[in-house]
Amino acid sequence: MSSEAHHLHPAAMLIDAIKTIRRWVSAFVIPGIAVLASSGFSMRTVAFILFGALLATALAGLWGFLSWRATTYEVSGGAFRLRWGVLQKNERTIPLDHVQSIDTVQGIVQRLFGVVEVRIETAGGGASEPDASLPALDRAATESLRREVGRREPVETEEAAGPTVLRRLSLRELLIAGATSGQIGVAFSLIAVFSQLFDELGNFFSEELVRRTLERIAPSSVAAILLLVLAFGLLSWLLAIAGTVLAHAGFTLSREGDFLYIKRGLLERREATIPLRRIQAVRIVEGILRQPFGLASLRVESAGYGEASGVSTVLFPLLPRESVENLLLEAAPEFAVAPALEPLPARARRRYVLRSVLPVLLLAAAVSLAAPLAFDLVAVWVYFAVLLLVFPAALYGWLRYRAAGWAYTGDLLVVRSRLLARTTAIAPRRRLQSRDVIRNPLQRRARLATFRARVASGGGGGELQVTDLGSGDAESLAEILGPRLRRGGG
Amino acid sequence: MRAEPAERLDPRAKTLWRITGALGALPLLAVGASVSWSLLRVVGVPSLLGILPLLAALALSAALAGVVPDLRWRRWRYEIREDEVDLQRGILWVSRTLVPLARIQHVDTQSGPLQRRFGLATVIFYTAAGANQIPELSAPVAAEVRDRIAELTREQDEL
Repeated sequence: MSSEAHHLHPAAMLIDAIKTIRRWVSAFVIPGIAVLASSGFSMRTVAFILFGALLATALAGLWGFLSWRATTYEVSGGAFRLRWGVLQKNERTIPLDHVQSIDTVQGIVQRLFGVVEVRIETAGGGASEPDASLPALDRAATESLRREVGRREPVETEEAAGPTVLRRLSLRELLIAGATSGQIGVAFSLIAVFSQLFDELGNFFSEELVRRTLERIAPSSVAAILLLVLAFGLLSWLLAIAGTVLAHAGFTLSREGDFLYIKRGLLERREATIPLRRIQAVRIVEGILRQPFGLASLRVESAGYGEASGVSTVLFPLLPRESVENLLLEAAPEFAVAPALEPLPARARRRYVLRSVLPVLLLAAAVSLAAPLAFDLVAVWVYFAVLLLVFPAALYGWLRYRAAGWAYTGDLLVVRSRLLARTTAIAPRRRLQSRDVIRNPLQRRARLATFRARVASGGGGGELQVTDLGSGDAESLAEILGPRLRRGGG
Repeated sequence: MRAEPAERLDPRAKTLWRITGALGALPLLAVGASVSWSLLRVVGVPSLLGILPLLAALALSAALAGVVPDLRWRRWRYEIREDEVDLQRGILWVSRTLVPLARIQHVDTQSGPLQRRFGLATVIFYTAAGANQIPELSAPVAAEVRDRIAELTREQDEL
């Protein structure tokens, strides 16, 4: 297999230039504003800055051209070779055997030119940075590269058939996924930060105007605050929906042979490949807003090779809980089980409730210690408020107890637990890297133990944990999930 | 569950841990002393109350250098079985860890300057989900354990 060296699509020049400019802008925007502000927006400074920007753009363009000219790739001698660098010449060689996957991403600029960014990931590579990235290739070049680097396994006829689509996210599901994503908190804090920024700039809304509008709709200050919080909440909810739409629009899961393909994204189209044999565990996540409607999302933990950490990716963002098994049966049949879970022993309930109530009690104790220092009336109120928190905390502990469970069927470990979302994790025995049985003194007294198994995944290993299962159950689970050696033979 | 793992760490580990415990306690003592000093001199609380932080720091240091190494050593056990490495450790939170030999990717021994002084070494073995270690074995034992794990790992042929 051999070929001559190829250049990237000319759009790579522009993409490179934009990247350079973006870097410069982020470096100079704050000093630039400072200079502008201190000079009082004089014509000379503005002209100077404009001239600087023009010069920078021209330089970035030139640099983009030079680096486009310097970047070539070829597939020859059983290896993928990438050469790049204007001043310092670099060359990277990746043996074709080491190529794990070829993923494509299409950003907005790439979309304009109908090109894609191609990422070549290898067995030894890190999870975050691809081992070789080609920022702009057109479809034809991508296909021929895929063929050359190729997983040579798929036969031509299969290639023509293409991967079979297992499931597509409909627009309705997309919107529901956004509305129930539970990322309102994140969006909320984002808005809070931004509004603070606006406050400081101070000229987006005149204070007087805001006050008058508020007074008209909500005369009392309490109502005004409520209204403000409500508006904030609504805005962050919409933001959360928008975030989901951007990331997951047109989510399509398909499969061809031993590979799963994911396509998603509104502005930036992403395509990812997950080799089935690299999937370590599957997680069914029933978010707190989704569980009441019988909805769930599906994640996979997939490992890198060797020591390289893997990734935890969304396999499908939203689907009815009852169709999870069917989808798994088609996508990753190894993981398609829905066993009845063993509940925790009744004596574990007390520990779950205590565990979530304890922080509240500690807080109450701290308040009562501090009480003599504060105004009596206020202290009493705070004290009562804290004590009232005990009930929701106890309820939370009870819910966690109810959600917890485990099973071992068909050589699979199934573990369910709740933090906020109820998560069911499924991992084959052969994928477990280690098992722990942990007991603290209180657990010892109640004949309970925590069982934890680790699988290879992003961020130092995914965990499957059951807290407070019966001591004997924990031990026999650790035992039964052990390796089984092939006996006999040299 | 099967019986406790059979092997213990080298007894010299206790002395080593006493030294590292004492070294670790120094900043603790410094903080306790300065808090006490400022309470007594700057805030001017009653001397009995002001001395409390220092006493607490002293007690903690004594525990770190005195009792903790003993308890820790007594709990720490390990065993290299034919198919798994079996570890037990922890003073209050006692954990038992089983790592199948078939999952181990490579094994190291390490010894820091203080460990070398005592002729001790740590065996570290890596799986795809992170590292585990057996600390403070005497250097020849550590080398033996490392080689044994490496050899057994090669032989594993799992169903």
